[in-house]
Amino acid sequence: MTLEELIIQCKKQDAKAQGELYQRYNQILFAICLRYSPNYAEAEDNLQDAFLTIFKKVSQYKGKGSFEGWMKRVTVNTVLQKYRKQRTFDIVDEAQIVDDEQFEVESEDIPLDFLLKIVQELPDRYRLVFSMYVLDGYQHKEIAEILNISDGTSKSNLARARIILKNKIEAYNDKRNS
Amino acid sequence: MKQKKDIDQVFEDGLNNLEASPSPRVWNNIQNELNKEKPSRKVIPLWVRLGGVAALLALLFTIGNSVFDTSTFDSPAITNEIENNPQDKTRGIQKSNEILVVSSEKNVENLNSDAFDTNYKQDSPLQNDKASSTGNNAIVSTERSVKINSATEQVNSESNTKTTESYNDNNKHQSVVATTKTPSKDFSPSSKVVENSPEGVDNVEKTTDKALFDNKVENAIVKQEESNEDAKPSLLDAIAQQESIKEKNNIDNESVEKRWEVTPNLAPVYYSSMGGGSSIDPEFADSPQSGDINMSYGVQVSYYLNDRLSLRTGLNNVDLSYSTSDIVIATGPSTMGLRGVDYGSSQVVVTAISRETLNSTAPTNGVGELNLKTTSGDARLIQNINYYEVPLELQYAVLDSRFGLSLIGGVSTLFLGNNEVSVKSNNFNSVLGAANNLSSVSFSTNVGLGLNYKLSKRFVFNVEPMFKYQLNPYTDSSVDFKPYYLGVYSGLSFKF
Repeated sequence: MTLEELIIQCKKQDAKAQGELYQRYNQILFAICLRYSPNYAEAEDNLQDAFLTIFKKVSQYKGKGSFEGWMKRVTVNTVLQKYRKQRTFDIVDEAQIVDDEQFEVESEDIPLDFLLKIVQELPDRYRLVFSMYVLDGYQHKEIAEILNISDGTSKSNLARARIILKNKIEAYNDKRNS
Repeated sequence: MKQKKDIDQVFEDGLNNLEASPSPRVWNNIQNELNKEKPSRKVIPLWVRLGGVAALLALLFTIGNSVFDTSTFDSPAITNEIENNPQDKTRGIQKSNEILVVSSEKNVENLNSDAFDTNYKQDSPLQNDKASSTGNNAIVSTERSVKINSATEQVNSESNTKTTESYNDNNKHQSVVATTKTPSKDFSPSSKVVENSPEGVDNVEKTTDKALFDNKVENAIVKQEESNEDAKPSLLDAIAQQESIKEKNNIDNESVEKRWEVTPNLAPVYYSSMGGGSSIDPEFADSPQSGDINMSYGVQVSYYLNDRLSLRTGLNNVDLSYSTSDIVIATGPSTMGLRGVDYGSSQVVVTAISRETLNSTAPTNGVGELNLKTTSGDARLIQNINYYEVPLELQYAVLDSRFGLSLIGGVSTLFLGNNEVSVKSNNFNSVLGAANNLSSVSFSTNVGLGLNYKLSKRFVFNVEPMFKYQLNPYTDSSVDFKPYYLGVYSGLSFKF
């Protein structure tokens, strides 16, 4: 079945086509969920919600842009909806964070699951901003709009996320080297 | 010293290449959720069902009522006419007799005595006797006519005054009625009248009495004759009308008595398709498919619009099924399941593949994933569908004697009940799931013949071969499966 046929069948809520769509795209979308969720279990919950939203709203896809891109956006939005409601307690005065600070780390031999783990451990808002900005290429303005925060908050959240991540990587490296 | 790298780059490189598979639990949950949504969707058809039935009942009662009402209004209308008739009669009589009838109250006695005197003087003793007796009658009859007049006072009051006036004016001419012709001519028809309208007869009698009385004055004879003749037809008409109304009324009463008919019925139904496709999976389009015979049962209510035409509805439970043969049963991943079957959340499903596809397809085409079952005997893929049918049909009786023949045409609304797709062989049976492409509400057009035998006035035995063609049984319009079903409905009707 071609992708076009699959989409047509999914629009008819055909169970078989839905199964096939899931088979084709669950890994790609699960990776997104993992980056935006605080843990594996919640990532799975979010993937489930994302697919249900996709199946429900597939008729809204009018063929503009790639279908994969559309599904990714639906997935990100589904996850964002869940976590943006949970307000992060800002412990840092946002003005104190300098945006142009360089964050460099020794990155060799750092396992992927460790990277994923420390991203997941970030407070919700930091995690969302970091994932959107660094991994999915959103601009601060877009992030601010989507998360209903100011540009400044988005920037400081990102910087704060970087500090936390840098510290954790360094701690990991120190532990490994010692 | 190890090389340092921008932290963003570290994560971008790492996490954007992340590959991870969720546990199967996720897909199971998704399927459960999707299946949960379906029953909730079925709630709407349930309302549609109830709504449809309610609408039908409303329609039936509206039509039934309006028709029924006209029939009940018929009789009041008739009685009104009957009630009016005496008025018409008296009016007619009044017109014809002008003064005579009306004048009665004050003048009759004088008149009679006058007349008596005159007759006594002029005519033979025989005639006198007659006159005296009729004179007495006249008094009685005028009393009656007064009664009638008072009953129809309103209607006649005007004419009363007029006539009274005219009586005064034409006092002399009143006797005009006279003439020798009148008695002989008038008596025969008016005597017929007697049975039905004594009042009218009295009046007519009186006219003739008058005629007997007053022989002297001869002018205005013609005028009076004319008016008398006017009166006669109106009386006769009224009587004829009355009789015809009575007859009509009787006929109506007879047919009104048993306008409703209720028929429990039972039918073997044969399901088949006009198109060549398969509703289960396009793969079976070329496989041998055959309809099966099942049963339909229910109750039908008819309302006779007139002697020949009846409108009917009801509720039937219809079971339909058809089977696809020349298949091989297999198990495999849900992606290899049949297109028209909703498997629910099962990961490994029982499926079927046509022998033709199996032989012609390369194993790479997913068929390799299938675990074929060895079954004995011919394996068949069976689709069972259950509908609740609400017909709305007109039946026209072509022949309506003890043996009746009628033509039936109409539509049915079919509400989907249970349905399942299953596989069956001598040593293996399994239900795969429900069809996912059946419309929850669909329609059919129905035509048929009705044969009946009247056992008694109330009980009729019916046999009705019917052909029903389904209009939109499948939600998926690409399914080239155009099902119809044939049924021979037999039932015992009870009229009331």
